[in-house]
Amino acid sequence: MSNLLAARAQMGTSLAFHIIFSALGVGLPLLLCIAEGLALKYKDPSWMLLTRRWAKAAAILFAIGAVSGTILSFELGLLWPTYTKFAGAVVGLPFALEGFAFFIEAIFLGLYLYGWDRLSPRAHWFCSFPIWISGLASAWFIVSVNSWMNTPAGFVFKNGKVVDINPWQAMFNPATPYETIHMMLSCYVATGFAVAAVYAFSMLRGKRTAYHWKALRLAMAVGAIAIPLQIISGDANARFLATAQPYKLAAMEGVFHTASGVPLSIGGWADPNTQKVYYAFEVPYGLSILAKGDPHATIKGLDAYPRNDWPIVTATHLSFDGMVGAGFFALLIGVLFWYFAWRKKRAWQEHRWMLLGILLTGPLSFLAIELGWMVTEFGRQPWVIVGYLRTANAATTAPGLNISFSLFALIYLLLSFALIRLLLRLARAPFPPIKLPWSATPYTYQGDQAETSTERAGV
Amino acid sequence: MSIAFLALCILWLALITYAVLGGADFGAGIWDLFAVGERRRHQRKLINQAIGPVWEANHVWLIFLIVGLFTVFPSAFALLTVALFIPLTIVLIGIVLRGAAFIFRTYELDASSRSAEVWSRIFSTSSLITPFFLGTSAAAVASGQLAIANGNATTDLGAVWFSPFAITIGLMAVALCATLAAVYLTVEASLYGEPDLARTYRTRALIAGAITAVLGALGLLQSPFAAPQLWDGLIARALPVVIITMLIGLATAALLYWRRYRLARIMIILETAFVLGSWGLSQYPYLIPPHVTIANSANDPSVILALLISIAVGMAILLPSLYYLFSVFKLPYPVPGKTEEVQALTDETSR
Repeated sequence: MSNLLAARAQMGTSLAFHIIFSALGVGLPLLLCIAEGLALKYKDPSWMLLTRRWAKAAAILFAIGAVSGTILSFELGLLWPTYTKFAGAVVGLPFALEGFAFFIEAIFLGLYLYGWDRLSPRAHWFCSFPIWISGLASAWFIVSVNSWMNTPAGFVFKNGKVVDINPWQAMFNPATPYETIHMMLSCYVATGFAVAAVYAFSMLRGKRTAYHWKALRLAMAVGAIAIPLQIISGDANARFLATAQPYKLAAMEGVFHTASGVPLSIGGWADPNTQKVYYAFEVPYGLSILAKGDPHATIKGLDAYPRNDWPIVTATHLSFDGMVGAGFFALLIGVLFWYFAWRKKRAWQEHRWMLLGILLTGPLSFLAIELGWMVTEFGRQPWVIVGYLRTANAATTAPGLNISFSLFALIYLLLSFALIRLLLRLARAPFPPIKLPWSATPYTYQGDQAETSTERAGV
Repeated sequence: MSIAFLALCILWLALITYAVLGGADFGAGIWDLFAVGERRRHQRKLINQAIGPVWEANHVWLIFLIVGLFTVFPSAFALLTVALFIPLTIVLIGIVLRGAAFIFRTYELDASSRSAEVWSRIFSTSSLITPFFLGTSAAAVASGQLAIANGNATTDLGAVWFSPFAITIGLMAVALCATLAAVYLTVEASLYGEPDLARTYRTRALIAGAITAVLGALGLLQSPFAAPQLWDGLIARALPVVIITMLIGLATAALLYWRRYRLARIMIILETAFVLGSWGLSQYPYLIPPHVTIANSANDPSVILALLISIAVGMAILLPSLYYLFSVFKLPYPVPGKTEEVQALTDETSR
């Protein structure tokens, strides 16, 4: 492997790994906050039990998120020193602010996870707020840097030097509002549906208790509120790209030739050599309508740009369609689930096919995050900072990148294996008795059957 | 005073804080390696209790340091990552394995299982390796021997970061982390009603402290030829600080001997601050001697100003939060939200 390829492989693996934990790091604290709030409000032991369970899983997931995030902050320098020299000068500020947000998150996480017996119930619940707020803030700051790489702003490049830097302008670059909101929402979509999938799986295996039902509905509520907003945000992103980064939109949609009345190609293989999209399903005028709101609007194709400035077209198009497909599937599942709830058809909400759909949406939502991130990365190539620094010129000159990549790949495999094993064991472990803040006697989970029958009698 | 120098002072304070807090977490991992025999379970429980709630927050000081460095001195950061690619990669692997292994072993359902044992070993080994290579990297910078010419660095394959001087400083970093942790653990052990363990850690703190002092002296002896520029700076500017550092070290030992654990904890924190402070003072005004200075690698002043403003605002939120965290888990002072039983317990043991 060449130095460049090894550096890209290591960075790509690191990001693909970390993005899962950062999404959960943004999403899970909100679930914890709501569940604990409900437990305290209704003095409901099963909400408290859920909170304690999720907190345990969160402790492990957050620690892995923290260490994998550290890898990235080092790798910015270790793999891309030229990039960091350039970017550090201009967008070091959002990185530093993200550091602060992460700090607040880590502090209150420590209080939250280890403070069950040291804090009053209300103080403990209050500690969950800074966690999810700073989680959101972290996502915003970090993605503002990615936005800057797409639409660089806040500096002048003169004689090979960066001058006249305005760090605030760099942070609030044109792409920032679009990209950051899309990422923040994606965390709630993915976490909501992933948690729902866990409980859908339990229910499919016959554990249909009040405990599982509560968890499923809360997670489905978060996911189903976020997903329509996410689709609206995605649409806004595409419109923005049509004017700010037309080559990226062209790669996403597989548009090779500038034309008016451009159809929307769904799926298919976009081949940059023949400049055609094979096996795609075409919606006439679709893209012109979506991007510009006019069926005859002109869409810039890749032919408007020199060949060596083209993004990685095939991968961008496939990733984009995969992401959108997963998003619409999640929308369908969310809408169906709450439509049944509105029609008071609990049996349909709990139907085998509904639960199977939810089970599928969990992994699909995380796949959508990965693919969405690939869209923005593949679609920005060959640049790392659009118009200023090519990826090929940003990699380090240090030797042994192959070894470093192999080592880190091995570490990620080891961590994934250990993590999955531990989470599965946690999930299967019996519920230990928990202390309830409103009662003197500890609460022990009564088992599945007892609760099901009483709950059912009430329906 | 330039704004870049002011920013560097803040970064240096962050470095000291990381050494005092994060360093002790590494030290706790090192002592975990020595936890053998019957009392192993007790010792591990004490270590888990001591670092569990705070290690993630302590770790963020390092992140703060890295992003601060590449915001204020972007070119110096780029040079360091190329020149010290190998030790920094090892440090990174160490940090990852330390954090992951700690959390895996804490949440392993059966603490005596084989996998918990394996994670414990990984946790303690990586806690030993990481400060060692952080120390050798620091020594490589201080030595002024890194190959940097015309704004380009060449990756050092070990001639500088694995020289006898660098190894001495690396070992000293390990010993210092172990001392820090041992002193903190004397306080923690008394707090959790384990006077036997407190005595054990008192002995260990004295031994580790003595080793730190010997290694520090060896490092100083090598400096005139291994790090000449540093030595000149030390003689010119830092001599009084170095002498005070030695006196504080002696005071720490004396306080430990008289079992004044809380005071010893303050002294060892001061000691660490003075060790790093005298390094900074000796090396001024160079970031990477002999070519890279504060002035020739600093970023645009407007960016540094924006960063300083953000740090001021950030600290206004961060410091009270941090104080709250440490009050709930480590300090005897009452804060709102702390349950009365916990407050009563800490009152009793601190009396």
